[in-house]
Amino acid sequence: MATGTGEVAAFRNVSKSYGRVKAVNGLDLVLRPGETVALLGPNGAGKSSSLDLLLGLREPDGGTVELFGGTPRAAITAGRVGAMLQSGGLMSDVKVREIVELACKVHPRGHRVDEVLTTAGITEIADRRVDKLSGGQEQRVRFALAVAGRNDLIVLDEPTTGMDVTVRRQFWDAMRAQADAGRTVLFATHYLEEADSIADRVLVLHKGRLIADGTSAEIKARAGARRIGFELHPADGAPADEAVLRALPGTVGLDVSTRADGVRTVRIRSADADAGVAALYAAGLYPRGLEVTSLGLEQAFLTITGEQDLAEQADRTEEEEASVR
Amino acid sequence: MTTLVRLEILRTLRNKRYLMFTVLYPALLYVFFISAYGSGGTVDGGVSVKSYFMVSMATFGAVGAVLTGSAQRISLERKSGWTRQLRLTALPGRAYTLGKIAACAVTTLPAILVVFAIGAIEGVDLTAAQWLGLAAALWLGSFVFAALGVALGYAAEPDAVQPVVMIVYMLMALFGGTWFPVSDSLKGYARFNPVYDYNQLASFVHGQGVATAAIAVLAAFLALFTAAAAVLYRKDARRA
Repeated sequence: MATGTGEVAAFRNVSKSYGRVKAVNGLDLVLRPGETVALLGPNGAGKSSSLDLLLGLREPDGGTVELFGGTPRAAITAGRVGAMLQSGGLMSDVKVREIVELACKVHPRGHRVDEVLTTAGITEIADRRVDKLSGGQEQRVRFALAVAGRNDLIVLDEPTTGMDVTVRRQFWDAMRAQADAGRTVLFATHYLEEADSIADRVLVLHKGRLIADGTSAEIKARAGARRIGFELHPADGAPADEAVLRALPGTVGLDVSTRADGVRTVRIRSADADAGVAALYAAGLYPRGLEVTSLGLEQAFLTITGEQDLAEQADRTEEEEASVR
Repeated sequence: MTTLVRLEILRTLRNKRYLMFTVLYPALLYVFFISAYGSGGTVDGGVSVKSYFMVSMATFGAVGAVLTGSAQRISLERKSGWTRQLRLTALPGRAYTLGKIAACAVTTLPAILVVFAIGAIEGVDLTAAQWLGLAAALWLGSFVFAALGVALGYAAEPDAVQPVVMIVYMLMALFGGTWFPVSDSLKGYARFNPVYDYNQLASFVHGQGVATAAIAVLAAFLALFTAAAAVLYRKDARRA
């Protein structure tokens, strides 16, 4: 089987509902070999549901999910996928080494137990009972289960939950080593800095839909990568109206508030802050307390999901108005 | 798959609660019953107290071992997500259930043998063939309850599984001759109680011949519980 080309995973118009809730809504997505992909989304965005569908733990209501050109189950049986679930419980009354040994033995292309213990950084706790571990240690045991064999794809659902900062860094080092070895890595996370620093592709999921797909730089650019903030005082003359501000090159969003004394505070989200600031002076304005700050992925993410919510609200209002008429 | 089965057996034997409730508890009850009923006495049908309660306490321990070992663990592991984790391995779906049943099969033996050992010390007098036959009959009979345990494990929610198992277990024991012989007026109903039939498997050492009717009813229960377990398992796999 070729691993270097083609599709690792493909969602084609996939939908899944629980009762009246549409957890996944018409998802189209292709993962390519060697990518490290972060899956972002607020709680209830459909991240875990999507991963469940990807791994064949649930069947989609509509559309198809393929792993390595076949069913998810076939890919798992062939030992091509390793996964670490948020809700992946562990066996009680067994030692760490025993549960890892089980994972290595049942894997069609399993590694040696000691190797996996080292990779996951759990050699020192190998003789501890699984039920006596801390949350972070448990996560590392789950990680060990996910990398117990030579997988081509590793799926992780919020893997660093419960880990402290040091352990988290070690964990991502281990994860990067997996990616460097040519494996495709897909991880869902709450920590946006993880997505920012590790993933070479970021997917933003919101209400079961894919609303952004690109590098983290692209996502930030889409949200307006920088914020330009300043004040306009009436004493400086040229009381520009908002249309002028809106027309500045690169402006993505604009927020103006006016104080009682006529001082206006302006915040501009801009995809091109340099050109924006230059044009500000060119327009004859005198911005005071000028600040240009970079938006993190976190703010970009909030912006994008917020825009989506507003757009949906607008749609709904229109629909309601239409139904009233 | 053998790795999983071995691990299931190992962890059950390691569990202290298992040892307490399924090995020590029936053994203590046995000693208590012998003294309460008088060690020289007989119960209905002329069966000696020692022999009667040796069988009923062995089955009590075996049923307890099997029901808690399968029902409780399956239900809890469905909740914790361990069953989901296993579905992400190359193991076939049935491996998990087979592992549980295998663990049950191994863990019933100590429950049976410890009570037998006390019985032998107390003076229950059987031929070697009878001892072996009785142990084999009780061991095989326990599979009926293993199937019931698997079905309950998939049917009951984790918060409810313990009371459900206890109620089922105690009712079957109460009307199955575990703590006192079933009176003649209730025997008509008791025939449909798997624990009663399970106890009847010992009739051949009590000079009452082989209990063919009990074997037939147990076989029917085994088929019923297995079918129920299979249906519930598939339902659970779809829900994941």
